[in-house]
Amino acid sequence: MIELQNDALVFRFPEVHEDAVLRIEFQRTLRIPDDDRDYPLPPGLGRFPLAHVDDFADRVPGRWREHGGVMLPMYQSEAMWLSFNSPDGYPFAVKVATGKVNAATGEPWATGLNRDPQDYLSIPRQPWLDGYCVERGIIRQFVAMPLGAGYTAEEQITGEAAHGGLQLAAYPAKAEVYERMKRRRAEIHRVVASPMVVFECAGSAASDMGLAPGGRMQQEIYEDPYKAADWELGATSRCFVHIANSLVWRQITGDNPPTVPPTAAEYQRAGLPWFRWYGEGETALPGGGRLKGLKSIFNLGKVKGDVPLPENTSVEPGHVVPLGNGVVREGSF
Amino acid sequence: MDSFGAFVRDRREALRQTDRRYSLRQVAERIGVEPSYLSKVERGEVAPPSEETIVRLARELDVLPDVLLALAGKVSSDLLDTIRKRPLLFGQLLRELRDLPDHAVLRLVREVRDGDW
Repeated sequence: MIELQNDALVFRFPEVHEDAVLRIEFQRTLRIPDDDRDYPLPPGLGRFPLAHVDDFADRVPGRWREHGGVMLPMYQSEAMWLSFNSPDGYPFAVKVATGKVNAATGEPWATGLNRDPQDYLSIPRQPWLDGYCVERGIIRQFVAMPLGAGYTAEEQITGEAAHGGLQLAAYPAKAEVYERMKRRRAEIHRVVASPMVVFECAGSAASDMGLAPGGRMQQEIYEDPYKAADWELGATSRCFVHIANSLVWRQITGDNPPTVPPTAAEYQRAGLPWFRWYGEGETALPGGGRLKGLKSIFNLGKVKGDVPLPENTSVEPGHVVPLGNGVVREGSF
Repeated sequence: MDSFGAFVRDRREALRQTDRRYSLRQVAERIGVEPSYLSKVERGEVAPPSEETIVRLARELDVLPDVLLALAGKVSSDLLDTIRKRPLLFGQLLRELRDLPDHAVLRLVREVRDGDW
């Protein structure tokens, strides 16, 4: 079951284990420059508001009602990252797609879990996802673009603007796998005597947004440390997250969308931190596949003779904070 | 209210093992109370603080405010408002839910509807 709680999606599988709880948040962030340089992780600037599509059934496109799920507002060319948190460290396999194109492999949305190439993220090992895994250790940032303009990963890969939004599916590990892990953790706990660190629009097509590949960022998608048989494939929950243009969000919900986030240059001038995450001893997925052929928004704009990004000044991130041991990836502006 | 103070102390101390910002003094400063007061709260020598302070403390310690409020014998004002609007209905509902197992209670939570896609 999936519940909407304080602007987060909370997946629970009480039939599998009482600790099988996964929280997914959609973080506002600044858009990194789309200039083919590799940037560190930008901050989280707070959560996007989420609403049940059903609560505004008379004001959203018919397709959204069919899909069900939730919706959130994004400005055109605004960026986002997803944070994953399993409070008790319960393992989950999470599939993320945009426009029904898998963000780890570029393959079309499919049920079940594929290990070669791995088409899911292994939680809690993977604390967040900022974009499409275009090569080993590099992602291209998720950036909102209007569906139909040709920039989204969906349109570049499938040639169609059929779905938009973001799709998620979570599979919990089998209860016995978790119990075994918990016992091992308790043993380690006793030896080191320190607590474990838990990573922690109304009606028209113009309102519908999809995600497109933006600038390059250093982020690894980790190989699944579990065996295929460790996942409880019989238990899964999935959710369609619709993206409404922020300007239409007010018409749909009556609420103001969040303010426009700062540009990377403004953030940098304010001397605020960027982040770097070191996964210890973890293997990163090679990425690429169909995602390798994606053109970034800026590069595709050049081909089209278009200027799709309002601001794209390169920056030199000076203050980069290494993450781990409870340091939170948040900024304030 | 010993359980409230003990819970707060245990949680804060656990966090302090990996992050020195969770010393009594620093946590007190961040939630806007005197360290000596927070120390008394942790030892159960004074009653738990106000709802606003408990919510700030919960955020600081990364626990759900409702959990900390319940340990302090309080109910958050938004829940009270909800009950006040339909006291008979919610009174009856809560009594009926009292003995149900967690998974049965969770069935009452509003789920995000999955459609056809």
